[in-house]
Amino acid sequence: MELVLEYVIRGIADVFTTSSGAFDWMPLVMVVAGLFIGIIVGATPGLNGPFAMALSLPVLIWVFGVSDDALLPILGFLIGLMKGATVGGAVPAILFNTPGTPDAYLTTLDGHPMAAKGEGPKALKVAHISSVCGDTFSDMALFLTAPVLAVLIESVLDLPEKAALIILSLSFMAAVAGNSPIKGLTVGVLGMLLALMGTTLSGNGPRMTFGIAELGNGLPLSSAILGVLIVGEVFLGIEEAARERLSKDGPKSAPALGDNHFRWADFKRIFPNILSSSVIGTAIGALPGIGTTLAATLGYDFAKRTSKTPEKFGTGIPEGVAATEAANSSVSGANLIPVMSLGIPGNFAAVFIILAVESVGDFTLGPHVFRFTEIKEIEGYGTIINKDLVVAFAMFTLMVIANVCNWTLGGVVMRSLGVLARVPKSIMLPVVLLITLTAVYAQDGGFIAIWVVMIFGLIGYTLRRLDISILPFVIGFLLSPRLEELVRGGYSASGGDPLFLLKSPIALAFLVASVLIVYFATRKAS
Amino acid sequence: MDAKRPTTAKAPDPWDIGFGVIVLAVSLLAIFVWFPADIKGGFFNTTPFGKIEPGDAFFPVLLAAALAVLSAIQLTISFIKGSPAPSAGSEGRLTRSNFRFLFIFFSICMAGLGIMFVLGPGIVWLMRELGLTDATYRHLTDTAPYKYIGYVVGGFLMTVTLITWTEGRVRPAGIVAVLSVLVVAIVVFDVLLTNVLLPPNAEF
Repeated sequence: MELVLEYVIRGIADVFTTSSGAFDWMPLVMVVAGLFIGIIVGATPGLNGPFAMALSLPVLIWVFGVSDDALLPILGFLIGLMKGATVGGAVPAILFNTPGTPDAYLTTLDGHPMAAKGEGPKALKVAHISSVCGDTFSDMALFLTAPVLAVLIESVLDLPEKAALIILSLSFMAAVAGNSPIKGLTVGVLGMLLALMGTTLSGNGPRMTFGIAELGNGLPLSSAILGVLIVGEVFLGIEEAARERLSKDGPKSAPALGDNHFRWADFKRIFPNILSSSVIGTAIGALPGIGTTLAATLGYDFAKRTSKTPEKFGTGIPEGVAATEAANSSVSGANLIPVMSLGIPGNFAAVFIILAVESVGDFTLGPHVFRFTEIKEIEGYGTIINKDLVVAFAMFTLMVIANVCNWTLGGVVMRSLGVLARVPKSIMLPVVLLITLTAVYAQDGGFIAIWVVMIFGLIGYTLRRLDISILPFVIGFLLSPRLEELVRGGYSASGGDPLFLLKSPIALAFLVASVLIVYFATRKAS
Repeated sequence: MDAKRPTTAKAPDPWDIGFGVIVLAVSLLAIFVWFPADIKGGFFNTTPFGKIEPGDAFFPVLLAAALAVLSAIQLTISFIKGSPAPSAGSEGRLTRSNFRFLFIFFSICMAGLGIMFVLGPGIVWLMRELGLTDATYRHLTDTAPYKYIGYVVGGFLMTVTLITWTEGRVRPAGIVAVLSVLVVAIVVFDVLLTNVLLPPNAEF
């Protein structure tokens, strides 16, 4: 316990000191900046947290560099952004009935009727308090669960088991995200195949490049991911905006304000909904690939079923807003459980946390992070310590700081941003495209990045139109190099046994579980 | 092509079958044509100590084989059980209107990016032809206004055209928003950040 406490203290101290021991306020400033920008992004239709994380990552790397000292300010900004965007998403949903994301649609069910009754400010207060409660609950679950899970995994899993675990995660994502698990798995494998272009482990020259010299170093990772995740969505948004002529829907006149005081009695009224939704959202968030929409749906549904007045849901009651906002916000912290303990991202925001960690400093995510190595001072050598664990606790500290800022300042910022919700998507989306193209060109230094982002944008658009989830594609693309290392390493270590994955009982269990999950999900879909 | 897809999961959908057939064909082509021609290392390599280890083609071939198996399973399921019904609000296919959108959208983007690429070098070439300068564009990629011309004009035309097409009218708010973003992008990517070039200057 003493050792754990020492690592926690060193993690907290790491946030406020540089590697040379000088006081460092930058991570704190970046958390606050990220949170504020995140709330603004969330409140703006057409923008979302992962998009802002994708665009800000290259800028942050330019500003802070890639040294170990750069990692915490960059992660602080991204964590603040992630949390802020979750809170800000309620603004357009409540005030203008325009959900920026699918999960925010459920917030409109009671949030917008409250605004229509003149209780918009109160609805925003309910959304804010529910959102930060859910988020804080979820972070607590992360702090307690990730180390335990990681220690368990590290002690049990070797190369074949880790390879099988990645296959299991991909199968699970394919099964739960989208209506055709086999197609989801297919695009996941396709993403893995594309990620292998260029680089080789043996150094025998580039592979699968069609002779294009620019692909010798592989496809630019962030351009490809930005293309599928963000640009594909921009294509879709522009098409829909062109079809619906959204800009012609002028803002409706504001209703007269009613009672907008949020009292202790109001909090007591919505607290059971916040608690139940936080538990539901955290449980959903810990499983890779499911996402906030299901959490919000289940949270709202549970609140309605257990209410004494279910008929009032949908007419503009605080319980409805609290149930959805607590559920979708509690997904974000729990989503980092598979990231921190396994190095496997479960959602789009987690993808950018992993990208940041891989691009900056020596820190890597995975079960080894939570190895509680005994801290020893050796004269003439230095300190023996698991530095990754110190960084992990520093990350947790940044999350706590972001939560404190969110509790204290988030609500004020959120309630002052109603005007942003009026920015039409028809202007916002083409502008987003221009910024994206500029950023990827500047980051990767050439038109190759623009072509990659446009081609992957087209892939993202096509998959969405074909009703195939893009999440397995992105996760497959990201995890492919690691899976190749594990499979090749496992094969060599087994002495060339082609059945090495089936010889380990745990790996075999993971593979059987993968097949069963896809089988039952396919049966259900058919 | 715009005909509504059946909402039941009984009839095999042509798009479902098409997806499976294309993936199957691509994976077989990859294993038998693409990889042998485009991967220098083999499926297995022998180390100097005589040990056999997986080569650079090992994992790509495994993945392509997995793709072939998955697409074969998907085709079989589609023929036997029918295609899964699309999610609410989705057609599960690309319609003629989607293709029309993509054609117009990419035409606008390609025209804008084309202007971005050629305008700066084109103006410098013209100035050289007229004897107004001796420099080539390569010498001027870090000199204003040449380094901004292509980016500003190409970026402005592409973005304003997309907004105008989306809204069905020209709006001053859209023009002001695009100009503001271009100014901010120049300040961030060219003035504040060093060693970073705006498009298309890294190409020359």
